[in-house]
Amino acid sequence: MELAIGIILGCCALGAGMAMIAGIGPGIGEGSAVASACEAIGRQPECRSAVTTTMLMGCAVAETTGLYALVIAILLLFVAPGRFVNILTETMSNLG
Amino acid sequence: MSKIDDTVRRETVYIAAWVIILSVIMQAVFLIAGQWNIKALAGNILSSAAAVLNFLLMGITIQKAVDKDQKDAASMMKFSQSGRLFMQFAAAAVGVLFLNPVSSILPLFFPRIAVAFRPFVGKKFGNLLPETEASNDETVE
Repeated sequence: MELAIGIILGCCALGAGMAMIAGIGPGIGEGSAVASACEAIGRQPECRSAVTTTMLMGCAVAETTGLYALVIAILLLFVAPGRFVNILTETMSNLG
Repeated sequence: MSKIDDTVRRETVYIAAWVIILSVIMQAVFLIAGQWNIKALAGNILSSAAAVLNFLLMGITIQKAVDKDQKDAASMMKFSQSGRLFMQFAAAAVGVLFLNPVSSILPLFFPRIAVAFRPFVGKKFGNLLPETEASNDETVE
Protein backbone atom coordinates (compact mmCIF):
# COMPACT_ATOMS: atom_id res chain seq x y z
CA MET A 1 0.00 0.00 0.00
CA GLU A 2 2.79 2.44 0.95
CA LEU A 3 4.62 1.53 -2.25
CA ALA A 4 1.52 2.25 -4.35
CA ILE A 5 1.03 5.62 -2.63
CA GLY A 6 4.70 6.40 -3.16
CA ILE A 7 4.44 5.55 -6.85
CA ILE A 8 1.35 7.79 -7.19
CA LEU A 9 3.07 10.72 -5.48
CA GLY A 10 6.23 10.21 -7.52
CA CYS A 11 4.35 10.02 -10.81
CA CYS A 12 2.38 13.17 -9.94
CA ALA A 13 5.58 15.07 -9.16
CA LEU A 14 7.21 13.75 -12.33
CA GLY A 15 4.16 14.74 -14.39
CA ALA A 16 4.17 18.23 -12.88
CA GLY A 17 7.83 18.63 -13.74
CA MET A 18 7.26 17.41 -17.28
CA ALA A 19 4.30 19.77 -17.69
CA MET A 20 6.50 22.70 -16.78
CA ILE A 21 8.74 21.95 -19.77
CA ALA A 22 6.06 23.89 -21.66
CA GLY A 23 6.99 26.91 -19.55
CA ILE A 24 10.31 27.19 -21.39
CA GLY A 25 8.66 27.96 -24.74
CA PRO A 26 7.01 31.29 -23.83
CA GLY A 27 10.27 32.56 -22.34
CA ILE A 28 12.18 31.87 -25.54
CA GLY A 29 9.33 33.24 -27.67
CA GLU A 30 9.00 36.45 -25.67
CA GLY A 31 12.75 36.88 -25.73
CA SER A 32 12.94 36.63 -29.51
CA ALA A 33 9.87 38.90 -29.90
CA VAL A 34 11.46 41.61 -27.76
CA ALA A 35 14.77 41.21 -29.61
CA SER A 36 12.98 41.75 -32.93
CA ALA A 37 11.11 44.71 -31.46
CA CYS A 38 14.43 46.28 -30.43
CA GLU A 39 15.56 45.99 -34.03
CA ALA A 40 12.27 47.47 -35.30
CA ILE A 41 12.45 50.41 -32.88
CA GLY A 42 16.07 50.94 -33.85
CA ARG A 43 15.02 51.29 -37.47
CA GLN A 44 11.92 53.40 -36.82
CA PRO A 45 12.06 55.10 -33.40
CA GLU A 46 8.79 56.95 -34.10
CA CYS A 47 6.90 53.61 -33.99
CA ARG A 48 8.01 52.85 -30.44
CA SER A 49 4.54 53.21 -28.89
CA ALA A 50 2.83 51.03 -31.50
CA VAL A 51 5.52 48.35 -31.35
CA THR A 52 5.34 48.28 -27.54
CA THR A 53 1.53 47.95 -27.57
CA THR A 54 1.55 45.15 -30.14
CA MET A 55 4.37 43.39 -28.34
CA LEU A 56 2.60 43.63 -24.97
CA MET A 57 -0.47 41.96 -26.43
CA GLY A 58 1.64 39.35 -28.21
CA CYS A 59 3.60 38.55 -25.08
CA ALA A 60 0.36 38.24 -23.08
CA VAL A 61 -0.93 35.72 -25.63
CA ALA A 62 2.36 33.81 -25.67
CA GLU A 63 2.40 33.61 -21.91
CA THR A 64 -0.95 31.82 -21.80
CA THR A 65 0.75 28.65 -23.03
CA GLY A 66 2.98 28.70 -19.99
CA LEU A 67 -0.05 29.30 -17.79
CA TYR A 68 -1.77 26.18 -19.10
CA ALA A 69 1.30 24.17 -18.11
CA LEU A 70 1.39 25.93 -14.76
CA VAL A 71 -2.22 25.04 -14.00
CA ILE A 72 -1.65 21.39 -14.96
CA ALA A 73 1.43 21.29 -12.73
CA ILE A 74 -0.44 22.84 -9.79
CA LEU A 75 -3.31 20.39 -10.16
CA LEU A 76 -0.89 17.46 -10.38
CA LEU A 77 1.02 18.63 -7.33
CA PHE A 78 -1.75 19.69 -4.99
CA VAL A 79 -5.06 18.19 -6.13
CA ALA A 80 -4.38 14.92 -8.00
CA PRO A 81 -2.35 13.03 -5.35
CA GLY A 82 -5.15 13.27 -2.76
CA ARG A 83 -7.77 12.13 -5.26
CA PHE A 84 -5.66 9.23 -6.53
CA VAL A 85 -4.80 8.06 -3.01
CA ASN A 86 -8.49 8.20 -2.07
CA ILE A 87 -9.39 6.11 -5.11
CA LEU A 88 -6.65 3.61 -4.24
CA THR A 89 -7.76 3.39 -0.61
CA GLU A 90 -11.40 2.85 -1.59
CA THR A 91 -10.44 0.20 -4.13
CA MET A 92 -8.28 -1.63 -1.62
CA SER A 93 -11.01 -1.54 1.05
CA ASN A 94 -13.59 -2.85 -1.45
CA LEU A 95 -11.30 -5.69 -2.41
CA GLY A 96 -11.06 -6.77 1.16
CA MET B 1 13.09 54.38 -10.32
CA SER B 2 12.11 54.93 -13.95
CA LYS B 3 8.68 56.23 -14.88
CA ILE B 4 6.11 53.84 -16.33
CA ASP B 5 5.53 54.44 -20.01
CA ASP B 6 2.11 55.77 -21.06
CA THR B 7 1.54 52.80 -23.38
CA VAL B 8 2.25 50.31 -20.61
CA ARG B 9 0.03 52.22 -18.17
CA ARG B 10 -2.85 52.42 -20.66
CA GLU B 11 -2.72 48.70 -21.49
CA THR B 12 -2.44 47.74 -17.81
CA VAL B 13 -5.51 49.83 -17.00
CA TYR B 14 -7.34 48.12 -19.88
CA ILE B 15 -6.36 44.65 -18.62
CA ALA B 16 -7.23 45.56 -15.00
CA ALA B 17 -10.67 46.81 -16.10
CA TRP B 18 -11.38 43.54 -17.89
CA VAL B 19 -10.11 41.48 -14.96
CA ILE B 20 -12.46 43.36 -12.61
CA ILE B 21 -15.43 42.90 -14.97
CA LEU B 22 -14.76 39.18 -15.44
CA SER B 23 -14.18 38.73 -11.70
CA VAL B 24 -17.55 40.28 -10.93
CA ILE B 25 -19.18 37.95 -13.49
CA MET B 26 -17.41 34.93 -11.96
CA GLN B 27 -18.50 35.89 -8.45
CA ALA B 28 -22.07 36.29 -9.70
CA VAL B 29 -21.90 32.79 -11.20
CA PHE B 30 -20.59 31.45 -7.87
CA LEU B 31 -23.45 33.22 -6.07
CA ILE B 32 -26.09 31.86 -8.44
CA ALA B 33 -24.65 28.34 -8.19
CA GLY B 34 -24.74 28.57 -4.40
CA GLN B 35 -20.98 28.05 -4.13
CA TRP B 36 -20.07 31.54 -2.98
CA ASN B 37 -18.10 31.98 0.22
CA ILE B 38 -15.35 34.24 1.49
CA LYS B 39 -12.68 31.80 0.27
CA ALA B 40 -13.97 32.08 -3.29
CA LEU B 41 -13.77 35.87 -3.06
CA ALA B 42 -10.30 35.82 -1.49
CA GLY B 43 -8.99 33.39 -4.11
CA ASN B 44 -10.40 35.58 -6.86
CA ILE B 45 -8.81 38.74 -5.44
CA LEU B 46 -5.43 37.04 -4.96
CA SER B 47 -5.29 35.60 -8.47
CA SER B 48 -6.64 38.76 -10.11
CA ALA B 49 -3.97 40.81 -8.38
CA ALA B 50 -1.32 38.32 -9.53
CA ALA B 51 -2.61 38.46 -13.13
CA VAL B 52 -2.63 42.27 -13.30
CA LEU B 53 0.76 42.51 -11.55
CA ASN B 54 2.15 39.97 -14.01
CA PHE B 55 0.99 42.11 -16.94
CA LEU B 56 2.36 45.30 -15.36
CA LEU B 57 5.75 43.69 -14.68
CA MET B 58 5.83 42.35 -18.23
CA GLY B 59 5.13 45.84 -19.56
CA ILE B 60 7.84 47.40 -17.41
CA THR B 61 10.31 44.73 -18.54
CA ILE B 62 9.44 45.36 -22.20
CA GLN B 63 9.74 49.11 -21.66
CA LYS B 64 13.25 48.64 -20.28
CA ALA B 65 14.24 45.90 -22.73
CA VAL B 66 13.51 47.90 -25.90
CA ASP B 67 16.25 50.37 -24.95
CA LYS B 68 18.88 47.62 -24.80
CA ASP B 69 20.56 45.66 -27.57
CA GLN B 70 18.90 42.51 -28.92
CA LYS B 71 20.84 39.93 -26.91
CA ASP B 72 20.40 41.72 -23.59
CA ALA B 73 16.71 42.32 -24.31
CA ALA B 74 16.08 38.63 -25.02
CA SER B 75 17.87 37.44 -21.89
CA MET B 76 16.15 40.11 -19.77
CA MET B 77 12.76 38.98 -21.04
CA LYS B 78 13.52 35.30 -20.37
CA PHE B 79 14.64 36.09 -16.82
CA SER B 80 11.55 38.22 -16.22
CA GLN B 81 9.26 35.51 -17.58
CA SER B 82 10.74 32.93 -15.20
CA GLY B 83 10.25 35.24 -12.24
CA ARG B 84 6.70 36.11 -13.19
CA LEU B 85 5.80 32.46 -13.76
CA PHE B 86 7.11 31.67 -10.29
CA MET B 87 5.04 34.51 -8.83
CA GLN B 88 1.91 33.18 -10.51
CA PHE B 89 2.73 29.66 -9.35
CA ALA B 90 2.99 30.91 -5.76
CA ALA B 91 -0.31 32.82 -5.98
CA ALA B 92 -2.16 29.90 -7.58
CA ALA B 93 -0.66 27.37 -5.15
CA VAL B 94 -1.77 29.42 -2.13
CA GLY B 95 -5.22 29.74 -3.70
CA VAL B 96 -5.53 26.02 -4.49
CA LEU B 97 -4.26 24.90 -1.08
CA PHE B 98 -5.98 27.35 1.26
CA LEU B 99 -8.74 29.04 -0.76
CA ASN B 100 -11.05 28.06 -3.60
CA PRO B 101 -9.17 26.22 -6.43
CA VAL B 102 -11.51 27.30 -9.25
CA SER B 103 -11.66 30.96 -8.28
CA SER B 104 -7.89 30.96 -7.78
CA ILE B 105 -6.97 29.52 -11.17
CA LEU B 106 -9.49 31.07 -13.56
CA PRO B 107 -8.50 34.75 -13.05
CA LEU B 108 -4.99 33.95 -14.31
CA PHE B 109 -6.53 33.57 -17.78
CA PHE B 110 -8.57 36.78 -17.67
CA PRO B 111 -5.83 38.91 -19.31
CA ARG B 112 -5.87 36.47 -22.27
CA ILE B 113 -9.63 37.05 -22.67
CA ALA B 114 -9.03 40.80 -22.44
CA VAL B 115 -6.42 40.59 -25.21
CA ALA B 116 -8.86 38.63 -27.37
CA PHE B 117 -11.38 41.49 -27.08
CA ARG B 118 -8.71 44.18 -27.62
CA PRO B 119 -9.41 44.82 -31.32
CA PHE B 120 -13.12 45.45 -30.64
CA VAL B 121 -12.49 48.13 -28.02
CA GLY B 122 -9.45 49.62 -29.73
CA LYS B 123 -11.11 52.94 -30.43
CA LYS B 124 -12.12 53.47 -26.83
CA PHE B 125 -8.77 52.63 -25.26
CA GLY B 126 -6.50 53.90 -28.00
CA ASN B 127 -5.95 52.39 -31.37
CA LEU B 128 -3.59 49.47 -31.89
CA LEU B 129 -2.24 51.22 -34.95
CA PRO B 130 0.41 53.82 -34.23
CA GLU B 131 -0.49 57.46 -34.53
CA THR B 132 2.51 57.97 -36.78
CA GLU B 133 1.32 55.19 -39.07
CA ALA B 134 -2.18 56.67 -39.21
CA SER B 135 -0.79 60.12 -39.96
CA ASN B 136 1.48 58.63 -42.63
CA ASP B 137 -1.54 57.03 -44.26
CA GLU B 138 -3.34 60.34 -44.25
CA THR B 139 -0.40 62.09 -45.85
CA VAL B 140 -0.18 59.39 -48.52
CA GLU B 141 -3.84 59.80 -49.30
